Amino acid sequence: MLEVKNLTKTYGQIRAVDNLTFSVKPGKIFGMLGPNGAGKTTTIRTILNIIKPNSGEVLLNGNPVTKDLFNSIGYLPEERGLYKKSKVIDVITYLAHLKGMQSSEIKKEADKWLKKLEIPQYRERKVEELSKGNQQKIQFITAVIHNPELLILDEPFSGFDPINQQLIKDVILDLLDNGKIIILSTHQMDTAEKLCSEILLINEGKEVLSGSLSEIKQKFGGNHVRFSYEGDVKFLNEMDEVISFELYSNNAEVHIKDEVKPELFLKKIIYKVTIKQFSIIEPTLNKIFIDSIKNKN
Amino acid sequence: MRKAITVAKWEFLEKIKSKAFIISLFLTPAIIILFSVLPTLLATRDSDSTKAIGILDLTQEYFYDLKNEIETYKLNNNLPAYAILNNYKSNTAADSLIKISDAMVIENKLDGYLLIQKGINDSLKIEFRSKSIGNFQDVARFEEAFNNLRIKRKLLSENVDPEIIEVIKQRTNVNQIKIEKPGEEGKGGFEMVFFSSIIFILLLMMMIIYSGQMLVRSMLEEKSNRLIEILISSCTPQDLLFGKVFGLSALGLTQVAVWLIIGISLIGAAIVPMTSFDNIHLILLYFILGFVFYTTLFVGIGSVASTEQEAQQITSYLSLLLVLPSVFIISTLQNPDSSLVKVLSYIPFTLPSVMILRVNVSPIPIWEILSTILIMIFSILIVIRISGKIFRFGVLYYGKMPSMKEIKVWLKE
Repeated sequence: MLEVKNLTKTYGQIRAVDNLTFSVKPGKIFGMLGPNGAGKTTTIRTILNIIKPNSGEVLLNGNPVTKDLFNSIGYLPEERGLYKKSKVIDVITYLAHLKGMQSSEIKKEADKWLKKLEIPQYRERKVEELSKGNQQKIQFITAVIHNPELLILDEPFSGFDPINQQLIKDVILDLLDNGKIIILSTHQMDTAEKLCSEILLINEGKEVLSGSLSEIKQKFGGNHVRFSYEGDVKFLNEMDEVISFELYSNNAEVHIKDEVKPELFLKKIIYKVTIKQFSIIEPTLNKIFIDSIKNKN
Repeated sequence: MRKAITVAKWEFLEKIKSKAFIISLFLTPAIIILFSVLPTLLATRDSDSTKAIGILDLTQEYFYDLKNEIETYKLNNNLPAYAILNNYKSNTAADSLIKISDAMVIENKLDGYLLIQKGINDSLKIEFRSKSIGNFQDVARFEEAFNNLRIKRKLLSENVDPEIIEVIKQRTNVNQIKIEKPGEEGKGGFEMVFFSSIIFILLLMMMIIYSGQMLVRSMLEEKSNRLIEILISSCTPQDLLFGKVFGLSALGLTQVAVWLIIGISLIGAAIVPMTSFDNIHLILLYFILGFVFYTTLFVGIGSVASTEQEAQQITSYLSLLLVLPSVFIISTLQNPDSSLVKVLSYIPFTLPSVMILRVNVSPIPIWEILSTILIMIFSILIVIRISGKIFRFGVLYYGKMPSMKEIKVWLKE
């Protein structure tokens, strides 16, 4: 289990991480969500002991994260990059060596992973000769090859096409079955919604929401409806029944007042716009995210 | 420590495989040989053909005697070194005679000519006029010839025995001999010591600058693609710093080894003076110490750069510091015991290059060698500490260069 207690990190006047406390259990994916500049990356760097916090502590299975634990941590940073001029297998070997692996083991594992991610043919090629997606796969391999206990993935899906996103998703779920502690930092809410069972939403270094996804949805609660439409839905702005709404392409997610029955709401809007579909829903993570951040501001 | 070795191995292998390194490995000595050895070879080498030299003696007093004096110089194959032509014609004005003679030089009919004329107050004015003025060997000979001639005349007019005149004319040269142990002579004069020292100092400087730039650039790559985050979450910054310094030092040593082999084979070909290698063990020691010192400094200070321009700025400032002692090369050679040189050989920044020079020029007491080596080792340890701290923060520092105040805070943590 990973425990983060009262973590604070300041840069000059700015509190990048402000008294953050959370814990991550093995076998579940922990989603760390937040808008740009919320302090996700700083939190990750502090967990990894790349930067020292001003106060607070990070414990992995009860031990502080120091160099002795480096070998049991895997990290995929948001900004990707590898030694461009070097051979794929050399880069994997170097970074795996740094994680304390033995040469024979590296060879076996590297081949296994290259095959698993469907790129064994690039083993002897230079990194710069690979496409961006394939370079990212190499980087993913370097994060997981040493079978880490704690795996931190910062935006693991960005830059992948849907097929490869699915591939990486499957691999991550596989790793989960092996009882790993996985932290996934992202602002792709739909991905987080599908993968994460625990969520921590932060903004300006502070916790905004935390807990299991279902708990959060319950807590956030309220009366939510979604409908597909043709026409103009500007009238939603003027309706007293509406607390807030989000528009997607040709469908809208609306938070209506608790006392308003959804069918009454439907009756009201059906005259104003062509409704193709109407459903009562749980709020999506995206809606929760946007509302929470807006409310705080 | 194991991880530091992993880093060192990677840095060494990846760089030694790069084309830039392989090219520089062979190009650098070629350039050094070209610039330091060739000119001396060419300058001291006798020309192998007779030169046509004119004499325009407006005083009409010296032509025949000067001609005889100059014609005593012979080439290796016993041909006269100079063929003398009289440029004087009576009933032509001095101005037009000079113009005609100048024209002959320009048209390559003459290699040059000596113009002898009366100066102010009855003094003599002699010029050697030619297209190029670099030919100091010829000029020295003409000077000697003319002075011999004047002495001879003066003495003859005073009725001195011609035999005595011959004795006076014979010059004695002072040979410089370097003593290393009682009764044991070092070989080589000023020029040889100068060139053999300068080769090593040049090598040291070029290597440090080259590998320093390579290092800062590769760190910049790691920083800009955030590989540094993976590295620092895999090993400690100290491991990374040590690894980089070790790897680069190994690379430097490989380079020196290759260059030594080239150097030794050149001795075989009698191009490089043997004295360059008399104190090779000490030279190498100072070389390595200097290299490690500066490399560590480069790693620490270079880590704060986050753009190519900043990296260039940093490396060029550091390089300047490194090149500074070369200003003192001549004065060190002329006076290796001066207090300035003594002071410079105790400042870690200048110590390696000054000591390489001093070792070559004069024997140095063992206590001084030991104390300078200790100073160097001590300075390296200090620099490792300081660089380690700057590095710890520098590698994660993006944006504008940190101020001195910020760096001070880093050093305190």
